Amino acid sequence: MVMTDPNDDMLEALFAEARGASVAPDDALTARVLADAARVQAAGWARPEVPQPGLWQRFLDMIGGWPALGGLATATVAGFWIGVAPPTSVSDLTASLIGDEVSLSPLGLQDDLFFTDAEGQSDG
Amino acid sequence: MRDAADPFADAADAVLLQAFAAGDRQAAAVLTARHLPQVLGQATRMLGNRAEAEDVAQDAMMRLWQTAPDWRDEAQVGTWLYRVVANLCIDRLRKRRRGVPLDTVDDPADEAPSVTARMQTQARMRALSDALAELPDRQAQAVALRHLEGLANPEIARIMDISVRSVESLTARGKRALQALMAGRKAELGYGDDGPE
Repeated sequence: MVMTDPNDDMLEALFAEARGASVAPDDALTARVLADAARVQAAGWARPEVPQPGLWQRFLDMIGGWPALGGLATATVAGFWIGVAPPTSVSDLTASLIGDEVSLSPLGLQDDLFFTDAEGQSDG
Repeated sequence: MRDAADPFADAADAVLLQAFAAGDRQAAAVLTARHLPQVLGQATRMLGNRAEAEDVAQDAMMRLWQTAPDWRDEAQVGTWLYRVVANLCIDRLRKRRRGVPLDTVDDPADEAPSVTARMQTQARMRALSDALAELPDRQAQAVALRHLEGLANPEIARIMDISVRSVESLTARGKRALQALMAGRKAELGYGDDGPE
């Protein structure tokens, strides 16, 4: 024999009562909804909420905006230039730290291909 | 203005939303007639308060209008609205849980003899809604969709974007928690041995 929980019975009765209740929108609510629709149409979907920032905007926000981007660009150019044409003091410093001068091509190619002069081609 | 010879009467929801986005107002009237009753019913059953439910219904329909130009053909408006209304109601139930005062039972519109019975029904629906407010959000959502809307578990899974097993688990735990919350309130809520008086 299955025993039923009186609380379960009550809950089922409540659920049934809620499901059975007739809920119909009145004319006033329908009018409000249609007025909203007309307003949205008239506005041409100019979204009132703040749009989600794009990838670029999120990147800018992450690094601190345009001033930070300017600083980042300057530092990048300066770093690149120091790598291409290091001042003597930097060469001395790297030599003292690493023990030797190190030369790297930023393009991963032999510099000869790009920085050769007319006489340099006489190798071949 | 509704027209009996409405060319949109049998149109799919996605077609109606496209027409609405293109500026057709009649499409909005058809969509409203088609979905507002369900939207209002769901909100009323979850919140146990007509005024609040109307606010939620209006808000949900507003979101439908706003999303019209971006609507994907394969999406179901009914499923989408179930999700939107459930989320909006959960937000309100959460505030209720935090103790933000809300309107209580609506004032009776007339003094007919059935007023007492109607107020008792409202009190029962409000008690059920208050108990839902005490549940974790996902449990409340699943229980409401299963037991108040009478939806099948696969449809609830689509609405909540979870697996059917998760729906089963959430509804089972939610119902047990509701039983515990409502325990001992049978007489108070007007339930005699033979059901509602």
